[in-house]
Amino acid sequence: MKESYRQSDDNELVRASIEGNKLAFEEIVNRYQKMVARTVKGMLGDSVFAEDIGQEVFIKLYYSLSDFRGEAKLSTYIQKIAVNLTLNEIKRRKRFFTMFSQKGNNEMYEIEVADFDTEEKREASEIVNKALMRLEPKFRMVVAMRMLQGYSTKETSEILDLPLGTVLSRLSRAQEQLKEILEKL
Amino acid sequence: MKSTEIKNLIIGSANPGQDTMETTRMLEEAGVTYRFSKGFTKKVSDKIFSAEFAINREIDFVRSMNIVFSRIALTGIAAIVILLISIFLSEGSLSMNSILGLGDIHDESIICLLTGN
Repeated sequence: MKESYRQSDDNELVRASIEGNKLAFEEIVNRYQKMVARTVKGMLGDSVFAEDIGQEVFIKLYYSLSDFRGEAKLSTYIQKIAVNLTLNEIKRRKRFFTMFSQKGNNEMYEIEVADFDTEEKREASEIVNKALMRLEPKFRMVVAMRMLQGYSTKETSEILDLPLGTVLSRLSRAQEQLKEILEKL
Repeated sequence: MKSTEIKNLIIGSANPGQDTMETTRMLEEAGVTYRFSKGFTKKVSDKIFSAEFAINREIDFVRSMNIVFSRIALTGIAAIVILLISIFLSEGSLSMNSILGLGDIHDESIICLLTGN
């Protein structure tokens, strides 16, 4: 058994993880946790709940690795799990807050302000988070995929399982909403 | 980076023709980064592999219970067969009465037993 999997490619990591190799799976987590954090925290805000969903993404990945056939990239496979779990969490929160809260949807996304070395960085992060959280979830997801992950419209449509036309129309609507939101910030 | 530049990048990212890789890079440089807390990998790993250990122990327990039950079942079947053979040898048949031990009882003997006459 290898001591380090840093040089291994994704397919080798998947094979070793399926065999129950802890180190190989930890390398997958190390390699893709930043990508998952961008999706989950970008969509849910920088909160402890997002951290839990992030963990859930990798736990689900581990138990579904045997279904991964290697036709798509591992990053795409993980991204799809992250998107699905995040959307489920948004739906769950929406249901919960509709039932139990009088204050509306704004408290659904609690943002914890992380430590930043400069005021400028803190402000930049705050603008992006506030803009994203005020977007409707269906628009937020396409914008997050483009802005935080750098995906093309085609990649965005593949990951979100949406027709390209839908992605384009959502981007256009999102842009209008973003202009309004950012004017007020 | 100034806030107006950040806002322009955000709006631009919703533009289908925009090079979003460049937008992502610039935003990261400006401080827009997302990370999980320290020890994230260990937390995930602990959850998976400690759960697996628990599942394996559960599977071992179920397996040993199955072995115990199959042994009990075999012994039980053997005991029933021996009992049936002994009934057949002593009673000469395997009728319900002989299985219930009523082979030699006649109506008169029951009346005698109940009335004492």
